Amino acid sequence: MTPFHFWTTAITIAVVLFVVLHVVAYMILVERKVSAWMQDRLGPNRVGPWGLLQPIVDGAKMFLKEDIIPSHVDKVFYILAPGVAAFTALVALAVVPFGPTDPSQPERYQFVIAPNIDIGILWTFSTGSMAVYGVILGGWSSNNKYSLLGSLRSSAQVISYEIPLGLSVLGVILYAGSLNLERIIDWQVQHGWNALYHPLAFLMFVTAAFAECNRLPFDLPECEQELVGGYHTEYSSIKFGLFFLGEYTHMITTSLLFAVLFCGGWHLPFGLTDGNEWYHTALKLVSILGKTAFFLFFYVWVRWTLPRFRFDQLMGIAWKLLIPLATVNLVVVMVLREYEAPLWALTAASVALFVGATAFAARQTTPPVIRRTGNIHGLPTRV
Amino acid sequence: MIAAVAGAVGAAASGQAFDLSTYYPIFLYLGVCLLIPIAALIGSHLFSPRKDTPVKLMPYESGMDPIGDTRQRFDVKFYLIAILFLVFDVELLFLYPWAVIAYGPDADPSWRPIFGRIVFLEILVFLATLAVAYVYAWRKGVFQWR
Repeated sequence: MTPFHFWTTAITIAVVLFVVLHVVAYMILVERKVSAWMQDRLGPNRVGPWGLLQPIVDGAKMFLKEDIIPSHVDKVFYILAPGVAAFTALVALAVVPFGPTDPSQPERYQFVIAPNIDIGILWTFSTGSMAVYGVILGGWSSNNKYSLLGSLRSSAQVISYEIPLGLSVLGVILYAGSLNLERIIDWQVQHGWNALYHPLAFLMFVTAAFAECNRLPFDLPECEQELVGGYHTEYSSIKFGLFFLGEYTHMITTSLLFAVLFCGGWHLPFGLTDGNEWYHTALKLVSILGKTAFFLFFYVWVRWTLPRFRFDQLMGIAWKLLIPLATVNLVVVMVLREYEAPLWALTAASVALFVGATAFAARQTTPPVIRRTGNIHGLPTRV
Repeated sequence: MIAAVAGAVGAAASGQAFDLSTYYPIFLYLGVCLLIPIAALIGSHLFSPRKDTPVKLMPYESGMDPIGDTRQRFDVKFYLIAILFLVFDVELLFLYPWAVIAYGPDADPSWRPIFGRIVFLEILVFLATLAVAYVYAWRKGVFQWR
């Protein structure tokens, strides 16, 4: 059994929640700043130097704004929905390690809220996918057409991308032989980063995670031009803030997962992190948090690089591209694992699959043809 | 003392024994996480002003007066996706335990030579069955969104 140290756990939880809430607040500032730089603007620069106090002011504003509960909503679910969204997103962080936890001295410090949880990644996926309840409750109880459409889109999208998300991680688990995230890191410390052996799975995981977080280019649930605000159209003040908190917490969790599952966690090459001195621990902490910060920046970067998909394209990517490709990839990894092929064969197979799939998709894709069909009042139909 | 603790941690980490005390941190965390939204909602309710007007309480539909209610019959085309999702999600749920049991570092060594290959082939057959269902759904036009 793992001894339960109440105060260590309580302090860890307090620190984690403090950090996460502030990272969420500052992530919004970072997003606005980086967006501004990419568009040759200045971004927020009025509150404090470089706008650094902006998130604090925003947070206070969220609390002090009028909390409108429209007359036509289902009050219970309307109030419940943002709470569910924030709660499920926060809970998903429970098993994700953000530093090197030394299991021989658990009473000193721990860099994960709940160490040695064997269901690890399964916990994160299951609670993370429960976020769809917040979305659909919010959309339905708002009694607004935009909200309903937004929540329907979002739920269809989230459940569709959940499958490639799970399938792409399975290759990693086949090799690590454990769902425990700390042991997945251990495997990578011994054998090398998973991104080297499963590049295709990494790519699919990143894509699916972007869709799970409703981030551009997959932000159709709330695309402003079509649906105003999507499922949170009717929400104001802190309820809107809680939806935001949920979304950004998802981004933090998935960024940590990118680092932990595929980029070695706290591991650095060239023996930089081989040791247990205090400076090794510090370097490991800097390493994993730096990787996470990079992936958080990557979210913003992609947002201003790729245009948004159409909804049928979005569902098509999930069901016609990612799921078959992830399944084939999984079967290949399974066969290589069962017959104990060398690790470089994984990389080769992954790259070959990627090239093959690209060639196949390029042959299939034809430019859109506008043709008159006449069956719907002579309107041109995209074929 | 430390050696005993390390041994205990090792036993728990290797999945040999299930102990609920491993999950106590999660229960504590669940409680704290529950407090955050509740505190936020109550705090905002206490601090925020309230000044209702009929227009403010209307559904927001881009400034137009809403036509009709949202509670009407609505063609949800995604229900087929939801059904297919269930199939694939259950597939995943079968594959996760298999991956851990068959290839985990503490998998039972007497188990693999006898059953390892058979179970592996079983999983392949299972995936093939699902592939047939997937192809059927595709041919039926489930993946066409208009």
